[in-house]
Amino acid sequence: MSQSRRRWLALCVAFLLASSPAVACDPPSLGDTQLVADSARYRIAWRVRPDPILVAEPFALEMSVCAKPGVSPAEAVQVDATMPEHRHGMNYRPSVIDGPDGRFLAQGMLFHMPGKWRLIFDVRAGGITERLTHDLTVE
Amino acid sequence: MIRRWQILLAVLGACLPLLLAYANTDDWSPAERRAIQRFGPWPPQQARDASNRASGRDDAIALGERLFFDRRLSGAGNMACDWCHLPQRDWTDGFKRGVGRDVVDRNTTSLWNVGGRRWLGWDGAHDSLWSQSLRPIIDPREMTATPRQIAERIRTDADLACRYEKVFGAAPAFMDDEQILVATGKALAAFQETLVSGRAPFDEFRDALQRGDAAGQAAYPDAAKRGLKIFVGKGNCAVCHFGPTFSNGEFADIGVPFFIEPGRVDPGRHGGIAALRASPYTRLGPHSDERQGAGTTRTRHVEAQHRNFGEFMVPPLRNIARTAPYMHAGSHATLHDVVRHYSELDEDRLHADGERVLVPLRLSPRESDDLVAFLESLSDTPKPFVRRTSDRDPACR
Repeated sequence: MSQSRRRWLALCVAFLLASSPAVACDPPSLGDTQLVADSARYRIAWRVRPDPILVAEPFALEMSVCAKPGVSPAEAVQVDATMPEHRHGMNYRPSVIDGPDGRFLAQGMLFHMPGKWRLIFDVRAGGITERLTHDLTVE
Repeated sequence: MIRRWQILLAVLGACLPLLLAYANTDDWSPAERRAIQRFGPWPPQQARDASNRASGRDDAIALGERLFFDRRLSGAGNMACDWCHLPQRDWTDGFKRGVGRDVVDRNTTSLWNVGGRRWLGWDGAHDSLWSQSLRPIIDPREMTATPRQIAERIRTDADLACRYEKVFGAAPAFMDDEQILVATGKALAAFQETLVSGRAPFDEFRDALQRGDAAGQAAYPDAAKRGLKIFVGKGNCAVCHFGPTFSNGEFADIGVPFFIEPGRVDPGRHGGIAALRASPYTRLGPHSDERQGAGTTRTRHVEAQHRNFGEFMVPPLRNIARTAPYMHAGSHATLHDVVRHYSELDEDRLHADGERVLVPLRLSPRESDDLVAFLESLSDTPKPFVRRTSDRDPACR
């Protein structure tokens, strides 16, 4: 392959990547009930299963993570939650399963009290961890 | 003249909170209504325990009832489950701490509504009712039996052996000692799952409020209504005492001393999680009938944390007025003592990394009485327990 052809190919690949949903940071939809958490480098669309969250009942969190332009795709995600006003977290440590296309599934979440909770998403890529949060009230 | 007006205004100002409290007895905000609705409906739908194949089966319930009162489940043949869980005492014993062969470290919990609990025991060391039911049988401080003793007594009793075979599909002669012990726990659990408390005055009020039935609401005492307002309002009680059983099923440090005796402390939930992880009798273990399903989520994900030290079960509150004394070691004799504990809470006793919404409530004597009146309204009408199982199963003759 000639050098000019290689350049064209590289440009085409760059164009395709730039126009892909991942770079535009539009996470694959998880359905109508999804919510979004945003940071400078990542956007996470997420939804809970079952929906809505019931106090003292376990739930899972489906996530779809996209990296913003120039940012490495997420290699791993950790999820936690705290009650800022109560200054404590959950009694359970969720486990996260990696899925295809930037999707992750956190299992073992449980909010044991009604009130304001802060969901914490730690996205790791290339040795850097970025924290995204989302506040919600559970009755 | 001016002085008289000043005095009148001062008196009115002082009385205003009291007048408002009485005027608002039947005035419930949307948030209060939502909070109240979450305490029902009652009775709840019964769900089977997937980790216990005997759960919900009539033949297992009958077997469990027979075993519950069978003194041969203790090492010396002198104690059954009803030694501590007396039906006539609302399935507890009235002592500060349970008394088996020895005095144990904790208060005997009532068995009302025990079937729906996710964690069992003051420290939640057990994740199923069948597992919890085994513990006192083989505990050297309580019933002091061994798996071998239990197994031999079951194998040599024709009626029990027949019942075990019907429920578990294998004759005890062909089950090993541990299998028979676990089956005993599962049958005992099936029986205890049937101990569901009846409807209380609070339930009638809750449902009347939901229906908009003014006459039904009026039948609920005003003192209980004022206590309920404190419970879901400034008392913050409903943060932990949540849902139809008035417990979120979890654990909390509320500043109750956890010294058992000088130099010995009760680690509470911290020790409970360690015991759970060391136990072969969990939902994840070889004796569970469901090792992968939704019922295993809590066991799989529970996390030991520093703040668990000194945390104890958030007790359910139905029939609480009849199950004194209170707290994990029976340190509070009456409901008034319990309310006083929260009213005068010693914050220095709380964990530095513990719950921050726990503050002294500083209740007036009237408010304390109201809160107690509300707690008393969670009791059903007592009915004597009548045994339903004979010592001989007609189908086994």
